[in-house]
Amino acid sequence: MNARYGMTIDIDRCNGCGACMVACAVENNIPPAHAGANDRKGLTWIRVYKVDNGKEYPERRSAFVPVLCQQCGNETPCAHVCPQQAVDVDPKTGVVGQMPERCLGCRYCMAACPYHARYFNWWDPAWPKGMEKTLNPSVAPRMRGVVEKCNFCHGRWHEARERAAANGLAASEPVDYVPACVEACPAGAIRFGNLNDSTSEVAHKSKEPDSFRLLEKLGTDPKIYYHSKRDWVKTIAEAPRPGAGKENVRG
Amino acid sequence: MTTRRDLFKIAGGAAVGALLTPAPWRMITDGALWSENWPGIPRPARGEIRAKFTNCTLCPAGCAMKARCVGDQPISIAGVAGHPLSHGALCPYGIAGHHLPYHPERLLSGAVEDAAAAIKKGIGEGGRIAVFDTRPGRTASWTYRRAMASLPGGLYLRPEAALNGDAVDLSAARTVLSFGVPLLDGWGTPGNVIQARGNFRLIQVEAIESRTAAMADVWLPTNPGEERAIASLILNGGMDHIARELEDGPVLVLGPEDWPEIVELNRKYGALGRTIVSRRDAPVPDTWKDAAPEMEWADAAEGSIRVLLIDETAPGAYVPWHSIETRLSRDAVVVAFTATRDGYARHAQFALATAVFPEALDDIPAAVDSPAGVFRLSTSMVPSAAWTIDPAMFIAQLAGIDAASALRDRADAICRSARGNVFHYADQKSTPMKAMKADAFWKSLNEGACWIDDLDPKAHAPQLVARAATRASNVSLVETCGAGLVSPLFSKLHEESHVRLARHEIALNPAVGFCDGERVALQTDCGRIAMTVLLDPSIPPGSIQTATGADVLDLCGGATGAKVVRI
Repeated sequence: MNARYGMTIDIDRCNGCGACMVACAVENNIPPAHAGANDRKGLTWIRVYKVDNGKEYPERRSAFVPVLCQQCGNETPCAHVCPQQAVDVDPKTGVVGQMPERCLGCRYCMAACPYHARYFNWWDPAWPKGMEKTLNPSVAPRMRGVVEKCNFCHGRWHEARERAAANGLAASEPVDYVPACVEACPAGAIRFGNLNDSTSEVAHKSKEPDSFRLLEKLGTDPKIYYHSKRDWVKTIAEAPRPGAGKENVRG
Repeated sequence: MTTRRDLFKIAGGAAVGALLTPAPWRMITDGALWSENWPGIPRPARGEIRAKFTNCTLCPAGCAMKARCVGDQPISIAGVAGHPLSHGALCPYGIAGHHLPYHPERLLSGAVEDAAAAIKKGIGEGGRIAVFDTRPGRTASWTYRRAMASLPGGLYLRPEAALNGDAVDLSAARTVLSFGVPLLDGWGTPGNVIQARGNFRLIQVEAIESRTAAMADVWLPTNPGEERAIASLILNGGMDHIARELEDGPVLVLGPEDWPEIVELNRKYGALGRTIVSRRDAPVPDTWKDAAPEMEWADAAEGSIRVLLIDETAPGAYVPWHSIETRLSRDAVVVAFTATRDGYARHAQFALATAVFPEALDDIPAAVDSPAGVFRLSTSMVPSAAWTIDPAMFIAQLAGIDAASALRDRADAICRSARGNVFHYADQKSTPMKAMKADAFWKSLNEGACWIDDLDPKAHAPQLVARAATRASNVSLVETCGAGLVSPLFSKLHEESHVRLARHEIALNPAVGFCDGERVALQTDCGRIAMTVLLDPSIPPGSIQTATGADVLDLCGGATGAKVVRI
């Protein structure tokens, strides 16, 4: 059976430290912000939003919600609209891939993505002098003018497959494959695994009553499951994106 | 009549003319967008992938690290799973720590010879010399103490010690009452705090819903500056619902250590000896025992120091400059050993450039939440830049003592003590110290290992002593993305997402009447700093939240009644 990789994110454990965002940028050769970048033009394959219960101080309560590509499994909106076939869904893993070599930068996919989890590369990727020595050789830096997004650290998947094959194990589903954000989360809030494997932790957590997915009503079958015991936090699942309508709110 | 020759002339002229416009060059660039062989994109170096182990020096926690390297160059850093203290966790600062040698704002030079001459002149004129060490307890700190013992009138100064040098055992706590301490956001060792978090209830008393308050079991919002009054109320039997929570012990009370109420609450609820414990430091060679004693900076006499050497290579507690300045004589020479111009270098006559993580070989003393003494090294993963100096060697040379093998000498002393265990990062196994030889121990330390002392069976319950209390401030300082050197990738956290405050960004409630992005000044009786407003409804009116940084700490440290004014 093919794998169906997914994540569970425990919002009640996330303190918004941003380790996942930094680890993602390190792993995927995402450059530091250009001088003209802001929260709309930035490149953050995983972004932590700060949300609140909408009440005034001192009844106000906040939570942090990491949002990345939701890896839609059904009628994947971005794949449908791409005129260049630069987006595809890998049937072996369920991961929605992005091929920057094919992308012409029309940004239809960004408009189609209901989760605002795609980012346009507005500027030439540039690192401070010498810092290019720290780039990850497993991931090619992307050029200006293309769309980027999370691919569950595809380079890590390839490396894990190679390791598994070298050790004489089945390469189809490497056991030590985890994306960088999962490895980096100091609170252990992000878990990763095969949702089709009923023995996996993510498969168990995804079925718990406190689990929910963002905009589930759209029927896109996202593979990121959020988890919170707080009822008000669960209402973010209905918003177009966490914190929507409050553009000035941090996160 | 147009001839064929004319057509050729027109075509040729058009082609030459087009070369003088940007169009063809632009087409070449845009055409290359479909190819990864575009010269505008740096190509990652390729080579053998291997792992190196080390420890982080970016804060006193000293988390264990596993670096993925291409050849010798680290390209990413992760925690070491199974580590008994850091439990595999790293904060974002550590995750991107390997970028620091390439930071564009790094200090690139320093007048070393001029500084040495000024120091010698100051000493020669009979002035008192002092070293101010922002992270005491390191082997370099012992070198400074030895150096100061050999110089007439030499002083070794340190910031006020957290918990008077004792440690917190979070794993023993069932209830933690915190007065504004960022317990879950940079207070101790991140992995250790998170590991222990499942076992205690956290009550956070704070005006602003900080990250710790947001994650607390109970957040008690207060008016700015009222926290101490609440501590007093709880101490005197008020606030029944909190008092009931505190009946579930063992209890730990954390807060500004200059409040007598914190000391009394810990005493009342039996924290001393249970959740606040005495800790033995890692052994040192016997020949170091005649080193100069540690002295808190506040105990130095006013106007007494002629030459002040400040080592801020290892970030620790920052003492506001106006407090230090009063200890200096009128013609004092101040030399800062630093990698950035942001800290004490702003006030020093000489700023001497030092190595940054992961260039330098250094050790990291035990963190505040480590009940056992530890010894671990941060090894040099990339060569130090040519323009940097080692402050310990500089000061040792000044005093004429030999410190070249100080780390090895201390490792040998620990080995001789035969106490504790050594945890090896590569195979995640522990070896009793008494089963290791000195050479093997030193090799292990350099390859990634941590010595963890046995708990002292004869330890006495610590005696906390309250210091002179300062008044509460209405400024809430949070960890910054801009203090000292942090990876340029931290732009993801402020510029590109606003999940953390950027340097010189100030969060205010929208009701106070400022606009988002407005330029204002944060003003105290110590001065003012220009800031950019970020409106945040979670900040209560009357409170100010801004990111730490040496200049902000100089402005707000000890100051009360901070206000924001339009500029």
